[in-house]
Amino acid sequence: MKGLAPLFLGIFGTFAFSWVGLTVLPNWQIGHLNPQSDEEGTDIYPQPQSGMFERGARVYAANGCIYCHSQQVRPAYAAADIERKWGDRRSAPRDYIFERPVFLGKMRMGQDLANIGARAPAEQASPAPTGAAPPGGSPSGGTSPAASPAPQGGAPPAASPAAKQSPNPSPATQGASPGLAGSPATASSPAAAANATPGGVTAPSSGSQTAGPPWPIQTIGEPPMYSAAWHHVHLYSPRSINFDSNMPAYRFLYKKRRISDARSADALQLTGSDAPPEGWEVVPTYDAKCLVAYMMALNQSRPLSEVRSAGGAPPAAASPAVSPGPAAAGSPAPAK
Amino acid sequence: MNATGIPLKEPSVSAAAGATEQLERAYIDASTRVPVLMFYTSAMAWLILGTLLAGFVSFKLHEPDLLSNISFLTWGRVRPAHMNVMVYGWASMAGIGTAIWLMARLCRTVLRYPLLLLAGACFWNLGVLLGVCGILLGDSTGYQWLEFPGYAAIILFVAYTLVVSWAVLMFRYRRGEQIYITQWYLFGAFLWFPWLYAAGQLMLFVVPVQGVLQSAVGWWYANNLLFLWFGAIALGTAYYMIPKVIGRPVYSYHLATIGFWTYALFSSWTGMQRLVDGPFPAWMITASIAAMILAMIPVATVGLNHHMTMQGYFPLMRYSPTLRFTVFGAMSYTVFSVVGLFISLRSVAGYVNFTQTSIAYSHLGLYAFFTMVIFGAMYYIVPRLVGREWRYASLIKLHFWASAYGIGLMTLMLLAGGFLQGADMENPTLPFSETVETVLPYLRGRSLAGILLTAAHFIFAYHFGLMLLGLGRTSTVPTFLNPVEAEETSGGH
Repeated sequence: MKGLAPLFLGIFGTFAFSWVGLTVLPNWQIGHLNPQSDEEGTDIYPQPQSGMFERGARVYAANGCIYCHSQQVRPAYAAADIERKWGDRRSAPRDYIFERPVFLGKMRMGQDLANIGARAPAEQASPAPTGAAPPGGSPSGGTSPAASPAPQGGAPPAASPAAKQSPNPSPATQGASPGLAGSPATASSPAAAANATPGGVTAPSSGSQTAGPPWPIQTIGEPPMYSAAWHHVHLYSPRSINFDSNMPAYRFLYKKRRISDARSADALQLTGSDAPPEGWEVVPTYDAKCLVAYMMALNQSRPLSEVRSAGGAPPAAASPAVSPGPAAAGSPAPAK
Repeated sequence: MNATGIPLKEPSVSAAAGATEQLERAYIDASTRVPVLMFYTSAMAWLILGTLLAGFVSFKLHEPDLLSNISFLTWGRVRPAHMNVMVYGWASMAGIGTAIWLMARLCRTVLRYPLLLLAGACFWNLGVLLGVCGILLGDSTGYQWLEFPGYAAIILFVAYTLVVSWAVLMFRYRRGEQIYITQWYLFGAFLWFPWLYAAGQLMLFVVPVQGVLQSAVGWWYANNLLFLWFGAIALGTAYYMIPKVIGRPVYSYHLATIGFWTYALFSSWTGMQRLVDGPFPAWMITASIAAMILAMIPVATVGLNHHMTMQGYFPLMRYSPTLRFTVFGAMSYTVFSVVGLFISLRSVAGYVNFTQTSIAYSHLGLYAFFTMVIFGAMYYIVPRLVGREWRYASLIKLHFWASAYGIGLMTLMLLAGGFLQGADMENPTLPFSETVETVLPYLRGRSLAGILLTAAHFIFAYHFGLMLLGLGRTSTVPTFLNPVEAEETSGGH
């Protein structure tokens, strides 16, 4: 080959061709999507997130969750993701328009997390992402407006664990809502457990060993319960929940401290060898709370007009999120 | 003449070409000494650090409780730290070092403006150091292959600008009208890298694209880095080393032209196949799969060209360390491309998308192909810089076999484990934890392979250290792998 000019032009040309073809054209095609809304423009999905969600995403990035967890549901014709209950429809570009960075992921040494928030007990998904929640403040309780859609029969994956909760309540839960077990209002009990309501303070940590954890043991064929409390214990000690989990513990996101006067509301309910000694407690740092808030907000269960949901399921699956009224109007961050 | 009847180094023709040419070459080599050794020494340091991190990553993946309570040693931080140390520390610096030397040789001019390169190396080291510390301290950007935080990325870019401006200047001073094949690849690599890096940084951090397109840009960047930066340097190096060592011109110049342009055109369109079945328009993924198929054209032409050049000279791999490593790397290019094509076909990709297979693919490209070619080049270049020959043939052999078996075992383990993991994942009656259980034995096997690679790198680093300290052999004969047979034949050198 002679002369530098043709070489340079060829090198530049091939690069520009690929750049235009694989980044500029797609950007023109799907790079400027808007959220979906109904006729009145009220029911908007997805919505931008801020505050704890944003910080939680940074914690997620910093600790490399993406190297083991994907956040995308592949279509039913291509993969078993939907059969695995990782979602009830495939993920679409519109689901991610406010995500930065976007954590699609390329590895599943752990579960897919695209709908981890949707798999939480029904009222748990909503309070978590409220961006305004102050670091130390008490998290909005189970009585938040978003709890109301739960009795309407939430998404099947979410409703069943909530129902399963009732036969197996922890002492703390019983103390918090003694009369409610078994009633339709059980939806509030996981929240009580999750936030370790003051009622739980009276239950000594040794007592919880005998009663077992406040969530059902993960069983085959049934979605496990992904409440905030579950996430915290799971992050602190994964193998105390799933015996064969391969996830490292993230104890550096938690603080062990001496109980000053009363047990903190957000202290982890740990059992066995993980439990702190008498008079001590393990509490999440703000980063841990943000990370859990972020995960609780990961939810692609809302139907999108451009994607077909799994057969028959869409209306039911949609109800907790789509239901108008208190959820959309009252809560600062409607169930995403 | 040796037992095989093949001349071992440069043929007598070139010896006859005159002492002036020899002298001129020695003069050029001497001028490259400080910059190239600086890049090589830095690269070796990063290689050792990256290897230690890699071992840590590998063991932690099947022993999750190992040192997990220290924030900067958590798996999710050590893994990107390892990856970035290897990509930007070891591979890029060793690649630049090799490219500098080749440029000076092929432009047939002494190296000018060495300060540009020295400053470039310093800034590059600083950038990688800051970036890796940033990742370990929890400052990762969260974009795979571009985890370095902004402050490190800027420094890297400045460092690179210095290097590329040197390369352009060198081209202006070149003698001779003909531009050799190696120079096409090197010139391409030198220009593609900054464009790629700038495009990736701009579209992800400065004017970020929306949503899933960040992933598309990320994988476009990652795959092009693999092909247009590392792949181009390695192919260019192989095009120089193979003919040089066996003393025979490249089989077909015409074939090389086809190979180069199809490589630039098709391999740059790959990347989206990694997003198969994801939330993207199908045409993007299909375009990349088609590009992967078309990229078989350069694989075939380059492979054929190297093969025909080597035809009849394969026994020389018994003696020449450079040739052995380079040919191993060149053959791995074919394996890497064929495996890459196989796992990107839709029917297969559905299974292996979220498994260890993609790790196997990256290691095939960055280690079996790129790193082995660069090892070969370093065995050729370093003696010419320090004026000594490699001290122990046995260490070179150990290095080769530990590297070859190590990467072979690692690839097999990750491919097999990945396929089984993927098959289990597609079976919804199996609980998810079973898919992890399935792959764990293979990950332990991968750790074993990692031990082999660690041994290989420490051996090489020790040998390289001896050369730096001037403890190599003083000899006019290069170190052959099987000296007994070679000695009786090397009279002419």
